Amino acid sequence: MPPPNTPEEGLLPPQSEPSRIASILATATPPPTNSSLVQPSSPEAANTAAPTSQEDPALLEIDYQILEYLDTVDETLLCPVCKTPFHSPVTTTCGHTFCAWCINRALDIQPTCPIDRQPLTKTRDYHRPPLIIKDQLDRLKVKCPNKGCDHVCSREHLDAHYERRCEYTMVRCPDSKCKKRIARRHVQEPASTCMHREVSCRYCDEKVALVDLNTHYDYLCSGATTKCSACDATVVLHRMEKHCADDCPEPQIRCKWHIAGCKIFDKRYLVQEHEDGCPYEIIGELLKQRAEDRRIIDNLTDRLVTLETERREHQERRARRRELSRQATNTSRGADAIDLSAPDPSSFFFDMEWRPELANVTSGENRTWGSPEDYMLARFERLESRMEDLSKQVVEMDAHQSMSMLQQIMPLNQQLVELGSKVGVLNMHTTWLMNMQRHNHIQQRAGAASASTSGLSNSGMVSSNEINNNAVRPPSEGGLPYRSTSRRNSDGRGEPPPRL
Amino acid sequence: MAGFATKRLGKELSKINSNSLPPGIELVSADNFEEWFLDIRVLDNNPLYLNQIYRLKFRFSAQYPIEPPEVTFVKLADRPIPIHPHIYSNGIICLDLLGQQGWSPVQNVESVCMSLQSMLTGNSKNERPAGDEEFVRANRLRPKDIDFYYDDNNV
Ligand SMILES: [Zn+2]
Ligand SMILES: [Zn+2]
Ligand SMILES: [Zn+2]
Ligand SMILES: [Zn+2]
Ligand SMILES: [Zn+2]
Ligand SMILES: [Zn+2]
Ligand SMILES: [Zn+2]
Repeated sequence: MPPPNTPEEGLLPPQSEPSRIASILATATPPPTNSSLVQPSSPEAANTAAPTSQEDPALLEIDYQILEYLDTVDETLLCPVCKTPFHSPVTTTCGHTFCAWCINRALDIQPTCPIDRQPLTKTRDYHRPPLIIKDQLDRLKVKCPNKGCDHVCSREHLDAHYERRCEYTMVRCPDSKCKKRIARRHVQEPASTCMHREVSCRYCDEKVALVDLNTHYDYLCSGATTKCSACDATVVLHRMEKHCADDCPEPQIRCKWHIAGCKIFDKRYLVQEHEDGCPYEIIGELLKQRAEDRRIIDNLTDRLVTLETERREHQERRARRRELSRQATNTSRGADAIDLSAPDPSSFFFDMEWRPELANVTSGENRTWGSPEDYMLARFERLESRMEDLSKQVVEMDAHQSMSMLQQIMPLNQQLVELGSKVGVLNMHTTWLMNMQRHNHIQQRAGAASASTSGLSNSGMVSSNEINNNAVRPPSEGGLPYRSTSRRNSDGRGEPPPRL
Repeated sequence: MAGFATKRLGKELSKINSNSLPPGIELVSADNFEEWFLDIRVLDNNPLYLNQIYRLKFRFSAQYPIEPPEVTFVKLADRPIPIHPHIYSNGIICLDLLGQQGWSPVQNVESVCMSLQSMLTGNSKNERPAGDEEFVRANRLRPKDIDFYYDDNNV
């Protein structure tokens, strides 16, 4: 918030203002209008105008609950508690959105969600609402809450208007000792004097605050009077001119329907009587209506023309984009993998085409989402080309991945085969040993039966020599599947069992 | 923030004026933002309430809708107090929705009327709450000060 009365451009009161008051003080000419002195005030000002706190805020806060929205606002943007479009919304853990102020008040009374009664704790259970809500709220068109100001803007710019630009915003009186507020437009430059300071009316004895002087002159002042020379009425002296121009019944005037052809020209009171039933009234009304229609038609024509041009521009742009993106896809389809890293012609195009527009959108005072579908289309096409890039990259990655997989798997595979062969050898030797054992048993039994004791003494131990002698041979490897890799035991017949 | 109730009721009123209320509910008067009167009637053929119209009085505190409104039936020559085991013969309604606990700030005048409508529609007992006479004789309190026991939730 800027300090009050910062002499920014927007803050300066209209040029005419100080000089006008000066001229009023100097001459008896009443100002043409008094509307400027209707005390503008933010609606809250009425309630909180008398600041009680020591720290007087520079500006009164905007009351968002009484803002006037121009369009009908979608139900989903209305706070379920206050039924107005969300103001600084929060979303609860249970997924409901409220104005922060409303949910705080509701939880003060009862610590559950007003909608589904889930237990809630202030602040802790609040989340930031989805950005789309903020976007939609930002775009709502609102009227400036200051009385007298008919400024309309999107809600996101309202604070800036109210705080810095609106001439009707009540700011602190330039006199730091004064605690009252004053419409920004009444602050005189150099801002030093209090506009609430009372001055004496030139025409009566009353003391009037400087800021109210115009109203006083126009309506309230009952200073020295005089009789109108024409109509004999008693008129406050400095309002005589106005009286003669607008009110005095004597001077001759034309019927108000003279534009429609009425020829009446008479004293005001006679003409006023006549005007009630003037036969030209119908024509006059028709003329007025026609002029109004004309104006509407002109407006519509203007709008139509601009819309038409805009539409054509968008169409052209879209067509161009389509063309380019088609070319882009064609070239990338024909191109090999290396070309993928080169900038996509279509994205280059978008950069050129869209950057300036996006810049406009964000920097402009009023967002010109003139072509949302255009914008979306552009985004979409851009995303599409990104997609294509990505899917190509994925394919590439895939190939790479399988390659490295293979490279890692090959040695493993070999080791596996080797292990398999060793197991085969082991198997072979086990069989060989068992055969030998069996052979020994048979021999022993035969020997015992014939009572000849050739091998009895070394019944448990069998030497390698004996084995050889017994002609128990390891099975031939011919039938084994790992022949190609078995090297050591290719000729294991005369050797001890191979190491494992 | 002053006038919260006023702003909210203003919203409700303009909605009622533009969209009108559901069938069986009519706004009788809303001259200020403290007290409104509405007429309700039951839409089905429940013999207890057939061809009867009932007058409701809403009183709003400055804290509405954070705080519940005070809702009672009002007796007039052509507006009786509906018979119901949760409605005392002086018009005081015993409905948890209208108590501090059962109230929710998302409710509004229309939804309260509809709840009362369905509360009547669903009733078949031709009786007053227990101790009605005694209650009505003794009761000098405002409805909201009475400590109701919402022991019966199927009303
Ligand atoms: Zn919830
Ligand atoms: Zn709210
Ligand atoms: Zn403004
Ligand atoms: Zn002052
Ligand atoms: Zn005066
Ligand atoms: Zn005169
Ligand atoms: Zn005429």
